[in-house]
Amino acid sequence: MEEITSMLPIIAPLIVIQLVLMIIALISLIKAERTNGHKALWAVLIICLGYIGPILFFIIGRRQD
Amino acid sequence: MQWMTIFKKELLGDWRSMKWIWVPLVFILLCIMDPLMTYFMPRILDSVGGMPEGAVIEFPEVPPTEAIMMSLTELSMFGSLLIAAITMSVIAGERKSGVAELILVKPVNYFSYITSKWAAKLFLIFISYSLGMLASWYYVDLLFGGLSAERFFGLFIFYFIWLIFTVTVAIFYNTIFKRPGIVLAASVGTYIALSILAQVFANRSPWFPNNISSHIRSLMASGEVSSDLWIAAGVTVGISIILLIASNFSLRKAELAE
Amino acid sequence: MAVVEVRQLEKSFKGKEAVKGLDFELQRGKVIALLGPNGAGKTTTLRMLSGLLKPTKGTIRFSETNENEDIRNHIGFLPQYPSFHSWMTGKEFLIYVGQLAHLSKDEAQERANELLEKVGIANAANQRIGKYSGGMKQRLGIAQAMIHQPQLLMLDEPVSSLDPIGRREVLQLMEELKEQTTILFSTHILGDAEEICDDLLLMHNGKILESGPIKELQIKHQTSLLEIIIEENPETYIDRLKAFESIEDCKLEKGKLLVAVNDMDKARTQILQAALQEKWPLIKFELRRTTLEEMFMKVVSG
Repeated sequence: MEEITSMLPIIAPLIVIQLVLMIIALISLIKAERTNGHKALWAVLIICLGYIGPILFFIIGRRQD
Repeated sequence: MQWMTIFKKELLGDWRSMKWIWVPLVFILLCIMDPLMTYFMPRILDSVGGMPEGAVIEFPEVPPTEAIMMSLTELSMFGSLLIAAITMSVIAGERKSGVAELILVKPVNYFSYITSKWAAKLFLIFISYSLGMLASWYYVDLLFGGLSAERFFGLFIFYFIWLIFTVTVAIFYNTIFKRPGIVLAASVGTYIALSILAQVFANRSPWFPNNISSHIRSLMASGEVSSDLWIAAGVTVGISIILLIASNFSLRKAELAE
Repeated sequence: MAVVEVRQLEKSFKGKEAVKGLDFELQRGKVIALLGPNGAGKTTTLRMLSGLLKPTKGTIRFSETNENEDIRNHIGFLPQYPSFHSWMTGKEFLIYVGQLAHLSKDEAQERANELLEKVGIANAANQRIGKYSGGMKQRLGIAQAMIHQPQLLMLDEPVSSLDPIGRREVLQLMEELKEQTTILFSTHILGDAEEICDDLLLMHNGKILESGPIKELQIKHQTSLLEIIIEENPETYIDRLKAFESIEDCKLEKGKLLVAVNDMDKARTQILQAALQEKWPLIKFELRRTTLEEMFMKVVSG
């Protein structure tokens, strides 16, 4: 156990990055007028799929023009 | 200047679509994930338990030069997919939506139009890649031991040449196809086809763009830039330039409206 | 003087001819309507003129340009369904296209403000285009086409997607722009063409069927017709009217006497004199000119 806690400062950036990705994806989802696919579905994917969810949303879900 | 105008507009567009936030973050994730996992997995398994008393877990000794190569492996798989995905609609998207009808009726030089967009994407990717690799270098240094700056920058610069090539391929398909999804499929298909070709002709074509990674691996081991790496890098730059010129012709030839 | 000369212009898509040999000229300072039903080839023609499509055959010559000059310096184009970068504001977009048209940043800025004012969307200048209504986008579209003060402004169906108020306003705007540039616009709505154009190109099935100043065309296609309404027993006057040598035919339709004449001036004098002397109970005596609409229907239906 002791070793895991000592690892935390090193693993923390991974968790922070994941959180930031999730938050900006959610902000962008809320601000978007239209998305490809249902908004609620995207919200679930963004929250549940770890960092894959936000990436998928930015690439596929956002309408870019 | 027209070139700068388009370049700046692209940067602004990528900023407003939050690409300037999420793309660097994803590159950092891709670059540090494997070295971190390699280091921590056995240790986590060990401390969580589940191993019979007395069993000794071997921690494989990974040298730093190999640990940093893990970042490149991830970039080669998911990085190129990501690059194709963020580049797929650079020109095709404008043609599909119809904005190109407004833009290209203005006295816009086609080559400026293509290269400024190419440069803007490359800039985003360069910054993201730099942040990712610097983070990776930091962790490798911390967890696996020292890695000399010379080796790191050798790897950093030569691998970036491969990234330039992946962007250029996607830009080229942008001028051929009007649908971003098809641009993505064609780009990824090309990367896969090239890597298969590189494996089939591994011994006979050391200058193949895909072989840059394996040459970098030997650079990491020996600390010297082999002539094969120079040649492969030169060939890759050359193909990229040819692709850009071909893009110019392809867009000129394309009918911009139905 | 002609701004553009088009000769033998043809365009096929996969073997299907959309435009079949056009010859016309656009006169400087005029508003020219390219009128035709849907599918006549209007959009294809405009896209060829703007350089978005390459002609299969034929030439387009802009009189203002030198051999090697980019004609795009002199034309402005608004597609039928313009799209913009929806993440940009209207003003940002205008400055962007202004700079693409070789204006300096300051010039582009000044010109953008001026045009936003002129097309009436100055209050939405700093709003994202994604939030604009259809009418606002149409105005922004006209503004972007005018940004570099082109000598020829081409508008593809500029008003057909607008509601009556928006339509009115855009037509008025075109009326104002007419002072500054030659305007070529396509439409399938006759009223719009009639309202503001000087010259008309009537297009059908990929061909120009009629062209020229609209006034001349109206006279050319005018059938001389008199409409007379008489209070009692109009049928009894038919033979009386037919007796005049200036009158070709006369028939009764829904209580109206429709009189086809070969000499309008003579027929008018003779009928009115007779009516006065013989005390016809006239209700209405009208010289009927055919409208563009009737001419359009007549030409299009062959």
